[in-house]
Amino acid sequence: MSTGAMVVSRKRRPVGKVVVFTLLLAGGLVFASVFVYAALSAVKPADEVLASPMRWLPSQWLWSNFTLPFEQAPFARYYLNSTVVGVSVTLLNVVTCTLAGYSFSKFAYRGRNVLFFVVLATLMVPLEVIYVPLYALVFDLGWVNSFAGLIIPSATSAFGIFLMRQSIDGLPDELLEAARIDGAGELRILRHVVAPMMVSPMAALALFIFMTNWDSHLWPLLVGNDADHQTLPVGLAAMQANNLGSGGLPMMMAAALLALLPTLLLFLVLQRKFVEGITMTAGIK
Amino acid sequence: MALTRTAPDRARGTRARPPGAGRPGWRRRRDAIGLVFALPALALFAAFAIYPMLRVFQLSLYDYNLTSPPVWVGLDNFRFLFGDDRFLASLGASLFYVVITYGPAVLLALVLALGLNNRMRGSAFVRLLYFAPVATSWVAVSVIWRLVLQPEGLLNQTLNTDIPWLTSSTWAKWAIAIAAIWKEVGFFLIIFLAGLQNVPKDLLEAASLDGAGALRRLRYVTLPLLKPITVVVLVMAVIRGFQSFSPQVVLTGGSFGTEVINLFVYKTAFASARMGRASAVAVLMFVLLLMVTFVQLRALRRSA
Repeated sequence: MSTGAMVVSRKRRPVGKVVVFTLLLAGGLVFASVFVYAALSAVKPADEVLASPMRWLPSQWLWSNFTLPFEQAPFARYYLNSTVVGVSVTLLNVVTCTLAGYSFSKFAYRGRNVLFFVVLATLMVPLEVIYVPLYALVFDLGWVNSFAGLIIPSATSAFGIFLMRQSIDGLPDELLEAARIDGAGELRILRHVVAPMMVSPMAALALFIFMTNWDSHLWPLLVGNDADHQTLPVGLAAMQANNLGSGGLPMMMAAALLALLPTLLLFLVLQRKFVEGITMTAGIK
Repeated sequence: MALTRTAPDRARGTRARPPGAGRPGWRRRRDAIGLVFALPALALFAAFAIYPMLRVFQLSLYDYNLTSPPVWVGLDNFRFLFGDDRFLASLGASLFYVVITYGPAVLLALVLALGLNNRMRGSAFVRLLYFAPVATSWVAVSVIWRLVLQPEGLLNQTLNTDIPWLTSSTWAKWAIAIAAIWKEVGFFLIIFLAGLQNVPKDLLEAASLDGAGALRRLRYVTLPLLKPITVVVLVMAVIRGFQSFSPQVVLTGGSFGTEVINLFVYKTAFASARMGRASAVAVLMFVLLLMVTFVQLRALRRSA
């Protein structure tokens, strides 16, 4: 059938392809040069960072600059806070979204479709539209400058529920019926039948939520802006704005690189899941 | 096997009951448990999404500073905003940012996707280079771009120019757009690449056998099939654009004509403690986003 066409296209000299590829590679290297520039600036002596004419390489490699953010700013605290909030929000999302996705997929109670529609409708409303009254609510609850304020409002997501429902829809009902006939309760079925088969979408969801949360700036700035609750984006922006410490530009580059390292590594390791998560936000299967 | 066979039998049995009796008790109990599973998420949505959503409309009609009770002012907040140069300027700054960042970013992503949509070993590596900024946080890359955009930073030194990127009303909005394009291209590239996976290979091969060259295949097969995705991408681009906050905060603090609408809301609510007026801006932003989405979805339907 299509083998004929494939042979034809394979026979054509790929000169054009090589040119296109070279252009794409060059563009990619231009993109990556920003990271390289930041990394090399981080290990330069402070007075070499903005030297003119510019030299890419430092005269001496000051790896110790990477300890400056920890010495001159509470960088370890930022890191710990971002990790605590990120991990908690991720776990809560996986639990609440899997529960709700299972509920919307496999049960037939009255109002189910209306509720699911309402959940989906909230996808249309970004945080940026609601954060003023949301802040007022969290303020009234006494959650400003607390981990509760940083975590609980982000503990579920419409996208996650949608994702889990779609995935659980693919499980055959017979499988659940079989478990029920064996006498398993609904929670047991969820834990021992549904969840083990949903590891892949749960992982995609977890990765997506963790990365989104790691990037989150506006909300933590509102509800976690005291010394004990600043996350990396809030702390980093504060370091930048206040010229915190005397480490100067190399320290800021070191801090920025350390802040983006965890999600960058996660991405490199779990590339496929990452792409899957982003693709699903666009509604492409 | 025996188990799976009994299941449909039982199901058939339940359907045979008289309709007046409704679902049998065990079935209704089970579905009630199902509803309980949704409750944690539903409670969170009710408190932290739906309630604030309703409240933002209400607060937009009040003067409210968080500590004293709200005072009804009717449409005064909206009337004030439409005569407020700062608000109108922030609207303009956001529109500029959306168009100048996301126009080029989406176009570039589409071109890159067409070039990278193959199984060549090198392409996987090149894709990584463009994806990487997506996996990093806005604040961190903004801190890095602040250095790149210094008078003696990477950009000026590479272009051999002397542009005050971050301290001039002429250049600051372009500087932020450049940084944001770099950050966002990969996101749309991922989506376009996924969209291209859905273009049936047979169709392209058939066109090729009919004598269509690469450009004709692109124009008459690939691009028409990408249209629905492009509409989704444009909706996402506008929404992402209006949400922008971090690059403006870190790169300019909103000076030099870069106070986008979201930053204006933030300052109105938390620096000036005018929660009512900030809510009114949020309502306008919501209506704007809703309109953009509907216009684009209609365009999609018409073309489909």
